[in-house]
Amino acid sequence: MNGRLFRMLISLEARKLMSYRGDFWITAVANLIATVVVHWFLWRAIFSTTGAETLRGFTFEAIMVYLIGVNLIGRVVRGADLQLEIAGEIYDGGLSRFLLYPTRYVAFKYAQHLGAILPEVVQMFLFAGGLIAIFGLPADAGFSVGTIAMTIPALWVGNLLYFLLSVPLQFVAFWADNVWSLGVLLRFISMLLGGAMLPLAMFPEEAAHALRWLPFVACYEFPVRVAMGELTGAEYLVGLAAGLGWCGVVALASVPVWRKGQLGYTGVGI
Amino acid sequence: MIEVNDLRKTFWVHKKAPGLKASIRSLFVRRKIPKHAVRGASFHIGEGEIVGLIGANGAGKTTLVKMLSGVIHPTSGEARVLGHVPWERSNELRRRIALIMGQKAQLWWDLPAADCFLLLREIYQIPEPEYRNNLAKLAGMLSIEDELQIQVRRLSLGERMKMELIAALLHSPRVVYLDEPTIGLDLNAQKAIRDFILEYRRERAPAMILTSHYMEDIERLCERIIIIREGELVYDGPLRKVVEEYATHKIVTAHLKRNGTLTIAEPEVSRCGEVVTCDGAQVKLRVPRARVPEAAQALLHHYEVADITIEEPEIGDIIAKIMNARATPAESETT
Repeated sequence: MNGRLFRMLISLEARKLMSYRGDFWITAVANLIATVVVHWFLWRAIFSTTGAETLRGFTFEAIMVYLIGVNLIGRVVRGADLQLEIAGEIYDGGLSRFLLYPTRYVAFKYAQHLGAILPEVVQMFLFAGGLIAIFGLPADAGFSVGTIAMTIPALWVGNLLYFLLSVPLQFVAFWADNVWSLGVLLRFISMLLGGAMLPLAMFPEEAAHALRWLPFVACYEFPVRVAMGELTGAEYLVGLAAGLGWCGVVALASVPVWRKGQLGYTGVGI
Repeated sequence: MIEVNDLRKTFWVHKKAPGLKASIRSLFVRRKIPKHAVRGASFHIGEGEIVGLIGANGAGKTTLVKMLSGVIHPTSGEARVLGHVPWERSNELRRRIALIMGQKAQLWWDLPAADCFLLLREIYQIPEPEYRNNLAKLAGMLSIEDELQIQVRRLSLGERMKMELIAALLHSPRVVYLDEPTIGLDLNAQKAIRDFILEYRRERAPAMILTSHYMEDIERLCERIIIIREGELVYDGPLRKVVEEYATHKIVTAHLKRNGTLTIAEPEVSRCGEVVTCDGAQVKLRVPRARVPEAAQALLHHYEVADITIEEPEIGDIIAKIMNARATPAESETT
């Protein structure tokens, strides 16, 4: 797929989504408020009950910063994951028109997916800026222009990886009518094992070590830690390389699923 | 341009008895049965030809079109479109074919048609001057220039179909598949689409396959038709020849002079042919083709005839008869 087409798809998709202004703001604001309120009460209760100042190295303030950060970043990484557009197109025959275009279907969908997350990126910066303006910069977080710049590639790798992880699951629609549950499962497992529900440091040490070898960490914990300035240059490069490596592995694993699936594609109706 | 040889497609579909018990059982065991959608299709279509693919619902028309456009894979058989195997989906082939499905919107619903066309220009890598020229020409032919900036979902069905046609033809395809392009349209819109297709054919001479349930589409656009019945091609030839081959009878209608003294009696004229209607002053007979001169002569001889007409039956009726006839056991494979 040529770069011009890729950019055009991103732009068209973003414009389309931003034209639905109500949906654009309501979903994002509601989600952020819910996240802040739930985590504030939950972790306040945990810290009060244990009477500890820190838990596995996290103060109450640090864990709140981490969880709000991972929430904002997670929305960008996942995009409109539960809409399962690829599965829907396989199911309702919408795939047919893409098979006629002289272009790669998955690349086409990824361009649209990137366009769909642009509003989320705008919101992420707006909300982060808003929270910093209200509460001030967290004392022990190393935010800087440099870490923000480093976060962008990390965020992109996380986004690409999450998209690629969802692709083979969506290809299951070649055989099954409803793959929504697989999408939900991916979201839940990736959030749990990627450090979006709680930092991996809260897991037992061996488990946390093992989880850092899985792909999910590149989707959540890695970009948040980059943004918070917790990683050295070498750790950053290793993290990026690991994320990209997983992208390659998952993309390769999708190929036979696609090949087998499209052999049985009917395009709806006989 | 299109060569098809013994192309077959079998779908495996689940069969489930009604009721809760059967539903529970189907969670564990499912009975699959083969559905032979296309059974050994062979034909050839050349440049500038518009071939009508006709058949009842579920006869296999759309499946055939989908295979030839590369959307689905066949179970067996061969096909070449512009020298390429369609289901291998080479970009070279995909840049030279188009599929228009009347029942499925292919444009982006939330965008104005003009934006969709820009996107298609990038997808097909159409050079800018060619794109502008084609768009102006196609929009002009369909008289739709003023609607290009309107969101697709706000267009009427007829306007949308016109936009779909432009979208499919912007890249000047050499092979065009039209799957029910006039479905659901009013008479004016149908006519506009038909006129456009004819003009487009005259200018660009692509090979076209048209499926439609409207006989007027077929009669106006196609000189050759392929009739498909239960997946099998039962007729491939000129449209007019269908009448010769399949119409065993003609309709003979005689009107008597107003002041004539004789009236027509049904038992008398029934010797000439099967009486369709008879009201004393007019008779309509269904006469075997070989006996038409004899029947006409008898009517003219016995009655004071003011006017006599001899008509072929409607092509649509003949085709419907062919389509609806059950396949003989020899023709049919066991499913």
